[in-house]
Amino acid sequence: VSAEPGDGGRGRARGRILSGAAIAAALLLIGVYLAAGGSSYTPEKTQDPCKPRPWRSPESLQEIAEQFSLSALDGAACQLGVSREALARALATPEARERFSEKYGIDDEKLAKAIRAGLVRAVDDAERAGALPPLLAGPLRSTVEKIPLDQAIELVHDARSALGGLQGILGPAGNFLEELLP
Amino acid sequence: VVVLALPDIYRDLDTSVAAVTWVLVSFNLVMALAAVPAALLARRIGPGRAAAIGLAVFAGAGLACGLSDQLSTLLVARCVQALGGAAAVTAALELLPATVGSERRAVAIWASAGATGAALGPAVGGVLTELISWQSIFLLQVPVALAAAVPILAVARHEAATGIIEPELRRTGRPHLWANLALAMVSAAIAAALFLLVLLLIEGWRLSPIVAAIVVTAMPLAAILGNRLIGPLVPSSRARAAAGAILVSGGLAGLAFLPKATVALTLPPQILVGIGLSLVLSALTETALGGRAPQAIHGGWTISARHAGVVIGLLLLTPVFTADIAQQRQDAIDAGTAVILDSRVSPLLKIDLAQRIESRLEGEKGKVPTIGPAFEPLPSDSGEREAVEELRSELQDQLNRAATHAFSPSFLLAALLGLIALAPIGLARRIEL
Repeated sequence: VSAEPGDGGRGRARGRILSGAAIAAALLLIGVYLAAGGSSYTPEKTQDPCKPRPWRSPESLQEIAEQFSLSALDGAACQLGVSREALARALATPEARERFSEKYGIDDEKLAKAIRAGLVRAVDDAERAGALPPLLAGPLRSTVEKIPLDQAIELVHDARSALGGLQGILGPAGNFLEELLP
Repeated sequence: VVVLALPDIYRDLDTSVAAVTWVLVSFNLVMALAAVPAALLARRIGPGRAAAIGLAVFAGAGLACGLSDQLSTLLVARCVQALGGAAAVTAALELLPATVGSERRAVAIWASAGATGAALGPAVGGVLTELISWQSIFLLQVPVALAAAVPILAVARHEAATGIIEPELRRTGRPHLWANLALAMVSAAIAAALFLLVLLLIEGWRLSPIVAAIVVTAMPLAAILGNRLIGPLVPSSRARAAAGAILVSGGLAGLAFLPKATVALTLPPQILVGIGLSLVLSALTETALGGRAPQAIHGGWTISARHAGVVIGLLLLTPVFTADIAQQRQDAIDAGTAVILDSRVSPLLKIDLAQRIESRLEGEKGKVPTIGPAFEPLPSDSGEREAVEELRSELQDQLNRAATHAFSPSFLLAALLGLIALAPIGLARRIEL
């Protein structure tokens, strides 16, 4: 290293130019990639289920049912302290529910309580969004507060059939449901 | 050369990412430990005989590697192969001056061959893996090694007849500590660059080995360019070493901050790493060998340093990126679930799709899944089909984000190793000037 040929003034100048060019090239690359979003190219973070999620303006019974299910999931997940996504996967099959219960130490009673709370939140959200008239919100709230676990899960999965079936649950008052729902 | 075959070996031998890295680690570890003793052997029995024996052992072990159907036998064969390789490579440095005319030229050729080989190897391995099989990489080494041994046999016969060349005329000297230390650090970074990039392309972005091989060819091409065009312009090996280490680190940091999962975006970082590795490996090897004798022993030290660096890099980075992959897999599942829940697809189809995707995830046993088939057949209703296609594209985006981000901390750590190499390069200047 000490006695390199050509390591005189010209050689040193070339060495400095090379080092400077290397630093410039490295910084330029890093700068361009960071400016293009290199530090934020990560999977999207899941939202806190306890924070309110805006309702998309529903246009049909199916869309109301979907928003209702998502609100119910948020409410239940918030109560259990897990993500909405983890709970949705847990409710997909009985096996997934068992794995979820083992992982988080949540028994059926606790799960049922949380899902009922989630359904109440869904009714509140639907009422607030103007998707459910107050006339129906009250009886629906009372119904979901006592609903058994399996039916509660079914309601989260497919709120459309349940909302459509409110005629049965609510008795004669429910006959007006289809007309009253926007 | 084996790097691009690792994903195939990993699948074929039904092992884990951490275990398959030992196909590289075992070879490099034995090379690191055996290089200097192999050089001493070459001095004792003659470089011709040492190279011939080394090549024969390398070929025999290569055959065993190619016939291995278990990870354990493959690892043992790789260790034996490294013993043969160490003997052949260190002896070659003793044989080269007679062939090329001068010791200085021999060192330059030997150093640049090492740098080019390091960069070119993965591409060759990838093509062979895709066109034939991973076993073919090892089986092809057999005729190549035997063909290389043929001209050396004449030298070995001559050594046997005339005795060993004048050992008393040769000086010995201390190995160049700082240059070898810098070589180890920068080799750790380069090994990581090759290993991680290949895993990202094949396992993360699901490219085939041949496409990955074509992609990583950018690195050797840049290395050749750096060797031919930039290296000769700058006579100072210290400046070339420092610039090379900076370029390698800059390229690795670029790979850590990829803004999208696109092959084209890996090219600028690869070019930096390629030019950098050609400059830094050649310069440090020349520095470590310059004015020192016997060349085989000092060459042995550089081989030892380079391969020890590879081992350090792999052992340091493997636990980091395997933990990151597991974390990113979970994040991708959560992000994917959110995408499905918020999509415009009908609720019943959502549940059906979620179950199909879940079964693909389980079927892939922790690897990044190919989710396309989970969406087949597409719904006949045009509105629903459009919503499903949008969902598929968003899910793929989340998977790409997770796979790319999983490698970021490891690339950054590797960049740091490259920067650490600047310390011994700087120390070499202070002490020796």
